[in-house]
Amino acid sequence: MKTVMTIALRNLSRQKKRSFLLGGAIAFGIMIVTIINGFSGSFVENVSENFSQLLAGHIFIDGVEKSASGKDVSIIRDDAAVSALLLDAKLPVKYVNRRSSFNGTLIFEGKKVLQDVVGVDLGNEKFLKDRLVLQSGSFESLPKDRQGVILSADIARKLNVQIGDRMLVQLKTATGQQNVGEFTLEAMSVNPGLLGSLSAYANKDYVNELLNIAPNEYQQMGIILDSINQIDPAADRLYAAMKTKLNTFERKKADSGQGNPLAAMMKQSKTETWQGTKYRLYTLNDILAQVQQIVNALNIASLVILVVLFLIIMVGITNTFRMIMFERIKEIGTMRAVGMQKNEVRDLFLWEALFLAIGGALAGLVAASIIMGALSLINIGMNSPVFILLKNGHLTFKLIPWQVLANVAIIALLTLLAALFPARNAANLSPAAALGTTK
Amino acid sequence: MTIVKLENVRKIYPLGKTEVEALKGVGFEIEKGDFISIAGPSGSGKSTILNMIGCIDTPTSGAVEIDGRATGGLSDKEITKLRHDVIGFIFQSFNLIPVLDIYENIEFPLLLGKQTQNKKEKQEWIDYLIAEVGLTQWKNHRPNELSGGQRQRVAIARALVTKPRIVLADEPTANLDSKTGEAIIELMKKINREMETTFIFSTHDFKIVGIADHVIQLKDGEVIENRRTENARSDGGKNA
Ligand SMILES: Nc1ncnc2c1ncn2[C@@H]1O[C@H](COP(=O)(O)OP(=O)(O)OP(=O)(O)O)[C@@H](O)[C@H]1O
Ligand SMILES: [Mg+2]
Repeated sequence: MKTVMTIALRNLSRQKKRSFLLGGAIAFGIMIVTIINGFSGSFVENVSENFSQLLAGHIFIDGVEKSASGKDVSIIRDDAAVSALLLDAKLPVKYVNRRSSFNGTLIFEGKKVLQDVVGVDLGNEKFLKDRLVLQSGSFESLPKDRQGVILSADIARKLNVQIGDRMLVQLKTATGQQNVGEFTLEAMSVNPGLLGSLSAYANKDYVNELLNIAPNEYQQMGIILDSINQIDPAADRLYAAMKTKLNTFERKKADSGQGNPLAAMMKQSKTETWQGTKYRLYTLNDILAQVQQIVNALNIASLVILVVLFLIIMVGITNTFRMIMFERIKEIGTMRAVGMQKNEVRDLFLWEALFLAIGGALAGLVAASIIMGALSLINIGMNSPVFILLKNGHLTFKLIPWQVLANVAIIALLTLLAALFPARNAANLSPAAALGTTK
Repeated sequence: MTIVKLENVRKIYPLGKTEVEALKGVGFEIEKGDFISIAGPSGSGKSTILNMIGCIDTPTSGAVEIDGRATGGLSDKEITKLRHDVIGFIFQSFNLIPVLDIYENIEFPLLLGKQTQNKKEKQEWIDYLIAEVGLTQWKNHRPNELSGGQRQRVAIARALVTKPRIVLADEPTANLDSKTGEAIIELMKKINREMETTFIFSTHDFKIVGIADHVIQLKDGEVIENRRTENARSDGGKNA
């Protein structure tokens, strides 16, 4: 066995160029797949993290009432009851945001833009200050001006407003009445790329006034936990506590297999009637159910790439090993004559293939690490259109060890398979025929 | 004592749509310890006969008996083991393994079977063989650094390393100049006498035929002469 392995290893160095080409092809395959895996590994995490910042929460609680006309009114009146739940469920809470919002039309000198406006309590929204990058103006000026607003630079440009300009806003109150107000532009945020027009930020006090709800009321509670990994167990505990204390919608989960769980819950509230406030709990994972699907698709794609790439490489390996067998036919005959058994001849080729695969795979992993390391050093910045995929402006990669091992195993197996037929042919040659072949 | 026995051996090779009858019913016996020359013109069947004796090919019909064992009906595994234990090979074009150095080439057959010697014994034995063929300084060189004559000496040492009863050599001097060829034959003869190994070699060089104990002359796949020579008789006690 040791002899066979020694010869196999040395045989690899006989035709260095050929070994490098084949090993290089294997390395390339492993490299591509590893990079894709690494990317998709951190994809969910980064997207979730970024969304949790944009949406200001890992777990959300909405309150819904039925208006006299049977319409849904979004409101949480009894903050004490909801806040008590957080303590009850012993949640690992980092921040809690209490927000109100509306979708209204901003009007300035004849220009109109439809815009989500979120009412925030900036004193408690440290989180938002970390996330939102201002291009001009400052966060301090917003609480000072009750009617102040922060718009994204893009929206400001569309409306052609400057800092200090006053604009009109048209909206519907919580109960669906038409209402009008006035905003002053206090700051402009850097365009957050893909979700550029997502939100404008204003003082919750004033937004509540526009919505015609009391100052201590709000529409949505966003809970940010210590870690994104705690979402599911924390949400389960909170929901359990909620069900016992409050009138609560049945929770739909992302893994229940009914498409978008959030949409399902919205639809449910439309068809039901009730008295008072009914509460709804959902999580970032529910909202991002589709992201996991994207990741699954990425992983399947990488597997397909691996297999296709390797079917191509396999053809090369099979042909090369056929050639090798022919080149060394006299050697094979000699070894057989001297007393080497058939299966040892076969193993000789298989070991050579295995060493090639492992060498190539290791080189591929090293190359992938270098490339991933280099890519993650680049500061793309959080104002790039792909910011949602980034972590603090950098691409990140996360590999799961068993996945890397599985890739290497698949490659080793396919390489062995590719070499098996030529190896078996070599082993089955009659020694006389092998020795007698003139080449 | 008879160590090789061929009985009515025929070998037919397919050749395109026709056939070639390379051996047309050959039979002879070989005595243990003899130095045997298989002679004949090109195409007469020398290599084919050596392949049969060396068990690297099987006859179309007839029987081959090696060291008292009938080889017909043995499995490939058994035949391979028989080759390993009983037969050593020397080839016309040396056939050393290029990735192994001289010592490793000679050691190679020992690593294939069950290993009976201890490490030190084995090392001493290989070193002895290397000295015997005069290549001690070349021990750690690769074959491509050696001349043809030197390579054939390595091949001789490799053929002897398993202490086989029979060594087969198919035109061992054909790729060497005549002086080197003679030296190789001398060496084989010396070992044949010292170790009492049976040597069977093919050649069409009649000078070489002269030093054989037993000459088997072939023509067109048939034995036309089969005689033990003066050498055998004068060499004391090995007569039939
Ligand atoms: N593998 C083969 N396929 C077909 N015919 C073969 C094969 N091997 C040998 N022969 C034929 O069998 C006959 C005997 O060949 P063999 O090689 O035994 O002769 P030889 O005496 O060794 O000749 P040389 O001195 O040229 O080596 C020749 O006619 C040859 O063409
Ligand atoms: Mg021949």
